[in-house]
Amino acid sequence: MKIALAQIVPKLGDVAANIDAHLEILEKAKKRKVELVCFPELGLTGYTLKDLVEEVAFDPASDPQFRRLVAATRGLSAVYGFVEESPADRGLFYNAAAFVAGGRVLHVHRKVFLPTGGLFEEAKVFAQGRDFRTFEAPFGRVGLLICRDFLQYGSSYAHYAAGADVIICISAGPGRGVAGGDGFETSRMWELMGEAVSYFSTAFVVYCNRAGSEDGVTFAGGSFVFAPGGRLVARGAAAEPDFVVCRLDLADVREGRRKWTFKRDEKPEAIWRSLERIVRASED
Amino acid sequence: MPPKINAPFVERILTSFIRDELGRCGCRKALLGLSGGLDSAVCAALAARALGPRQVLGLIMPYGKAFPQDGKDAVAWAKRLGIRHRTIDIAPQIDLYFAAHPATSRVQRGNKMARERMSVLYDYSVREGGLVLGTSNKTELLIGYGTIYGDMACAVNPMGDLYKTQVRDLAVHLRIPLAIRRKAPTAGLWPGQTDEGEIGLTYEELDLILYGLVEGRKSPAEVAAAGHDAAAVERVARMIRGSGFKRALPPIAKLSIRSVGHDFLYPYDRSR
Repeated sequence: MKIALAQIVPKLGDVAANIDAHLEILEKAKKRKVELVCFPELGLTGYTLKDLVEEVAFDPASDPQFRRLVAATRGLSAVYGFVEESPADRGLFYNAAAFVAGGRVLHVHRKVFLPTGGLFEEAKVFAQGRDFRTFEAPFGRVGLLICRDFLQYGSSYAHYAAGADVIICISAGPGRGVAGGDGFETSRMWELMGEAVSYFSTAFVVYCNRAGSEDGVTFAGGSFVFAPGGRLVARGAAAEPDFVVCRLDLADVREGRRKWTFKRDEKPEAIWRSLERIVRASED
Repeated sequence: MPPKINAPFVERILTSFIRDELGRCGCRKALLGLSGGLDSAVCAALAARALGPRQVLGLIMPYGKAFPQDGKDAVAWAKRLGIRHRTIDIAPQIDLYFAAHPATSRVQRGNKMARERMSVLYDYSVREGGLVLGTSNKTELLIGYGTIYGDMACAVNPMGDLYKTQVRDLAVHLRIPLAIRRKAPTAGLWPGQTDEGEIGLTYEELDLILYGLVEGRKSPAEVAAAGHDAAAVERVARMIRGSGFKRALPPIAKLSIRSVGHDFLYPYDRSR
């Protein structure tokens, strides 16, 4: 299967312009017979929103502009990053990722871990997601994560335990540290963790970051795909726009799990019992 | 010293930052004050590479005949880069003002000159339809070694997250002439003034102390224990604390439910 990582530079606060840019990329992807296109976190809105959050939010089920993006997925799948305000939760704004395929929204993940502190202020403007769920995509079982979700230890485990073949993390990861390598030092951290999770989970790890700068912060790019067992499939340019197309063979998940039997030997019930005891104890 | 930077990568990030920021306000030109010193030479080189040399204007703003060599170095560097440059003597307006309102200290005179240069830059910003680039480095910003609303004023600052010693590394990469790189850094407020003389530390040591306190998040005692004079570290920590007002917008007295600066918060870079 061919997939594409759209390492784009969204226009901050301009949903209409970003939808057009997404549509163009989808066209480009279709021409190259790509089956899945991933866009970065908040790719439809830009990242440093602050009080713009409420102006750019929409309901993915009914927004007419977003419908154009949903309709454009006939023949392929896409992951879109946006601000969600649903009719059931009016006035609550979620940093969200939608998995759309064949003209239907298959799943919406709401970011659970909202970094707040240092240069991040997400919990000031976003409501917290509370769940990690996998779902059946046209090509296999998928778990979605958004940026910091991935850096919290348990998130990818939850997807792994639920049987994800592909863990997709969309991101607006700022670059920090210019002392070494060909990119930001933080890109190395992401890649190391992606590689490690591809071993732990014997699943594909797909990371789509953005590029460009907002309010002085440069986003690090460096999107990547690891196949099960730490094989680097593709890597995006450091800190500049890129369109990375690569092939995933879902049979690699089976191969990986025959070679490394972590999944076979996994005991989520043991983890669950331990966590339950720990959580209960902390509540006492 | 703070970690050595990957200079080509830093150049790439800073040149795209300059292009992005100007592009957002539909602007293609940048201008900056050229002092003949290192920071403005580096900033001019970055701007020339980001925008093309003809889109950059360097204003050389001496006070009369003070520091003639700096003016010459600035002109020579502007010519090497191929950027436009113009020399504007600020002595007439400065002298007129202080003839009527005599200064009580040379710092007072120096600050007035720094703000006069800012005023000229912002006037040229309108004449040119360009943005003013700031040249304050991280070392200066942290210890507050600059004139508020003077040399610290700008539309965007590409230099503010580089310590002075890192600016020197970038200068080597950008092939800034030795004549500029070898000069003792000075604010140029009066003859004989040097940064290191005034601060009482070399930039190498100052940057190391700052790096420990800021990036390392260490206490002054911990930084001193790593091999620095405890009094010097304490003095640096005091300079950081005492200059916070130069790094923030002035507080607005809050009265309403939603107030500018408190809870009416929008990104600087909102698409226009």
